[in-house]
This record gives sequence, structure tokens and C-alpha cells, in this order.
Amino acid sequence: MNILQLLEGLTLRRILWVTAICAVASGAASWIFVNTYFDLLLTALPVGYTSMLLFTAASNVRQAAMPREAMQILAIVAGSILGTILAGLLKGRDITQMFHERLAGVTISMGLGIGFGCVVVATIMLREKYARDQARILRAESERHQLEKGMLEARLQLMQAQVEPHFLFNTLANVQHLVETDPQAAARMLDSLIRYLRAAVPQMREAHSTLGREVEMARAFLEIQQVRMGARLAFRIDVPEPLRARDFPPMMLISLVENAIKHGVDPCCECGTVVIRAEEQEGRLRVCVADTGEGVKPKEGGGLGLANIRERLKTLYGGAAALVLEENAPHGVTAAIEVPAAA
Amino acid sequence: MSATGVIADDEPLLRAQLRSRLARLWPDLTVVQEMENGRDVEEVLQRHGPSVFFLDVHMPGVNGLEAARRIAGRAHVVFVTAYDEYAVEAFERGAVDYVLKPFTEERLALAIQRLRERLQAAPAHLEELVQTLAARLAPAPAAQHLRWIKASVGPNVRLIPVEEVIFFQSDDKYTRVVTCDGEALIRKPIRELLDELDPERFWQVHRATIVNVDRIASVRRGLKDQAEIALRDRPETLVVSRAFTHRFRQM
Repeated sequence: MNILQLLEGLTLRRILWVTAICAVASGAASWIFVNTYFDLLLTALPVGYTSMLLFTAASNVRQAAMPREAMQILAIVAGSILGTILAGLLKGRDITQMFHERLAGVTISMGLGIGFGCVVVATIMLREKYARDQARILRAESERHQLEKGMLEARLQLMQAQVEPHFLFNTLANVQHLVETDPQAAARMLDSLIRYLRAAVPQMREAHSTLGREVEMARAFLEIQQVRMGARLAFRIDVPEPLRARDFPPMMLISLVENAIKHGVDPCCECGTVVIRAEEQEGRLRVCVADTGEGVKPKEGGGLGLANIRERLKTLYGGAAALVLEENAPHGVTAAIEVPAAA
Repeated sequence: MSATGVIADDEPLLRAQLRSRLARLWPDLTVVQEMENGRDVEEVLQRHGPSVFFLDVHMPGVNGLEAARRIAGRAHVVFVTAYDEYAVEAFERGAVDYVLKPFTEERLALAIQRLRERLQAAPAHLEELVQTLAARLAPAPAAQHLRWIKASVGPNVRLIPVEEVIFFQSDDKYTRVVTCDGEALIRKPIRELLDELDPERFWQVHRATIVNVDRIASVRRGLKDQAEIALRDRPETLVVSRAFTHRFRQM
């Protein structure tokens, strides 16, 4: 630590303040003492300045031996003693004599220095505490703003249409063909599409949802994908009936299922399975989507979907919810959303 | 006049649909092969030498654009796509036809009529068009930085997106990967991570520490020309050693 760092906070303002206090104190003392004002000031200034220097250094030294306030008070006491001796030297007095014949005067000037010093320290400490409180209030406010912003963003994300034109038109092309070749299959696919759209189109969506509704939307999506991808896709849904009535944030499960298809099963040309599973353990509702697809490539990103889910979980549950991604064995990805299981 | 054609689409029903429509509207065309993607284009060209390929643009594996590039003017190409407003605009200007899914009989009939006229001429080279389209469909190949950290947690391999990592710190033989809700150990040393991570986002601040700059709450000057980093969502403070403090000046 260099000398400049040690003297951080020794501003011109502080020096002027100390000078002014010394001037006023000397004026007050000249009413009581026989000494001239100038003589008193010549004592007060060295006491004030040494105390100020030591006080500043004590405020900047990093140590854990004692609290900073104690260091500061010690600095004032030491500064007052040193300052008094310095004043004596300046006036050309003999030091040994100072501590014998002039002990009373010396004690008084030290005492005054210590007294004033402590008042100043107390003032500074109060001001610092005030500043700290203000900072804490500001921080709390900015955190609240952040939270509000997060909630707004989460709502906006919900409002944005999740229906990809590609998905829609390709599905319709499938229906178009099925109408001619297999009208019953066409009707089933239209039915799935309607169920999916009802859940996915923003105006039809509510801010709250249940696990059951989210699972049904995912099922509709998977049914459509299964028609489109043929034998390449298999899926299984394993969600116990009692869990279906639970609250579950909207559009998260479908997002994981879309990822499982888009980044998991679709890129690998063979075939893959998607499994949706829900379970309750130790007070947590865990909903996971596992695929047997490609798995993540270390240098390819998972898109914005996952970050959005994390952000929304944080807004809705604070730290109590989590999105956990793991490798599925022997290949693929398992993505799990865990939320507190409020019945 | 008879011709031979190949249909490439990853969706079986859409292949069947195009096949039946073609049979109705262009009885002289024989579809010699159907493909799930463009992987076997070379083989199909060798074996059948078809006069026209109907290529879906989006297919897993080798997509329609890559397939057109591989065909390299040895056959005519018609792109079939569900929805690509940018791509469609490019098709309009290029010497290649396209059909939008779901298609109407009229639109397919028009494409067939144009194809029949073009069959006499040599197929166009699509190199330039394919490049334009490829650039639009897959904008700016992202810089090759590490995006996922794979860390063993118990018997499982946890996948952590790098954005979630707050800092990496070497710890004996391992490297700690610290996120807002926990930490994991990986074997990859700090040195190797540095080479692979996005240098804009991940800064080395100490011989043993890499921090995600997005997760820094504040930086304050510390002892001996060092600095200290306070983090968002983590209680730890990180030491910035003297060699790395320059990155935090003027901030």
C-alpha cells in the first residue's frame, strides 16, 4: 500500500475544515487562557493536522486486528499527543521541560485535541452511516425496479407468438395431403393443431396455467410432429393424474419439447424418442423432458429459449425454482424444471 | 416428352403429396427416387441421372441448398419451401423455380410448365444463388466459442450454458464452475478454458480465475495494486491480480 492510497480522502475540504476548527477552538480558548490567540493557534494547528493525517491513514489501513472506529480514535489520541509535542518543538521549547513544568498546559491542549477530534470522528461516522443507509435504500429500489422489469419482460415474452410459420405451413401441407388420402387422419391432425394453437396463440393464453394444460399442449405438438416426421419420432408422456391440477408456468414445457425436437431428434437423421415425465419429491414438482437425440454440441448455443425460462423462473419463484440440463444416457439431453410443489 | 425426377423432403407425407400431384399434373414425369435429405445426391445423380430435383429447403443433415450446390448444374432444381420470405425474394431474382408449401394445383402446374420449357436448355448453375440463400437462412456462423460446460454431478453429466457461469476458478487438479445456484468441478484447466471461451464475455482476472463480466456487480481497488470484484448473485469477492487490473481502468 503506497502513501497515496494511505492518504485517500485527505481532501482540500478536509484540510480547510480542520484549519477552521482549530481557528475557532483557539478563539474560544483565548477567552480562558492567558496565552495570545496566535500562540494558541500555533498549538492547535499541529494537533489538528497530525490528528487529521493519522486519522486519514487509520481510515485507509486494511487490517482485521481491531474495528476501524477504534483505530480512528487511537489515531486521534496519538495525533493529539504528537501534535502537542510538535507544537512545543515549533515554539522552541524543551521537551523534558514540557512534561514537567508545563504539564498542565500540555495536558489541556492534548485533551482539547482529543475532545475535538472525537467530535469530528463522531460526525464523520454518522455521515458515513447516513450515506450507507442511502446507498442501501437506492440499491433496494434498483432491485425492485429490476424485478418489475423482469416481470414485464416475462409477460412480454409470453405475449410473443410462439407459433413458427414454418411449423404452421408444413403442418397445413400435411393436412392438405391427408384430406385426400386419409380424411380421418386429416381430422385428427387438424384437431391436434387446433389444440396446440389454442394454447400457443397469445390472445388465447392466460398468465397462469396448470401442469395438465401444459402437458396437453405439448402432446398436441408432439402428435403433429409425429405425423410430420413419421417413424423418426416416438414419444411418451408419463404424468401422474394427481399432478395435473398443479399450477405450472405457461409455455415452459412446450419450449423444452420444441428444443428436444429441433435440437435433439430432428438433426439426427435416424429416429428419436421424447419422454415427458413429472414427479413430486421432497416438496418439489419436477417436470422433465428427455430426448434421445444428438445432445448438445459444445460450441453450439441452445438459443434464447432456455435463458428465457431461467429468467422467468427467477421472476416467479426467486431462487426456489431451477432449470437443470443433463446428458441423457446413452445420448440426448434431459431438461428438467423444478418448482416448489404447492398443492 | 418424358423426364425423370427426384423428390427430397424430410416429411414422408409431403413427399407422397408432391408425388401424387406430379403424377396428375405431369404424367410424363417418372419419379425415380425419394430422399429424406440431400445426403445421397451424388449417388442418385450417378445412378439415375434425373433431369429435375424437387428439393425441400429445410432438411436435417444435408439441406436443400447444400444439395443444390452438390448437384452443381447437372440437373434442374425446383425448391419447395414452407415459409421463407427472404428466400422467396431471392428465388424471384434467380434462375430457379420454387413452390411454396402448402401449394395450390395452379402454382405447381405453372412450375411444371416452366420446367418443361427449361428442360431443353442446360440447367442453370446455382452456385451464387445458393450462397446468397445460405447466408440468409443461417446468418453469420457464430464465432467458435465454447457454449456449454459439461460437468459431472454425481452420476450425471450436467450441461451448463456458459452464460450461466459466474466464474471459473482453478482448484488443485480441477476447475470450479460457479453458477448462481451452485457449483461443479470440471477437469479442463483454466488455461484451456481461456482459449475456448468468448474473450469478450470471459476475462481472466487472476492466474487462477476467469470471470463472466456480465456478472460483475462492482470493482473496487484493493491491496497492493490489486482490485476486488463483487459479483451479482454470489457472495464471494474475486481478486484481480496486478497483471490484469489494466482491464478495469477507466471503467
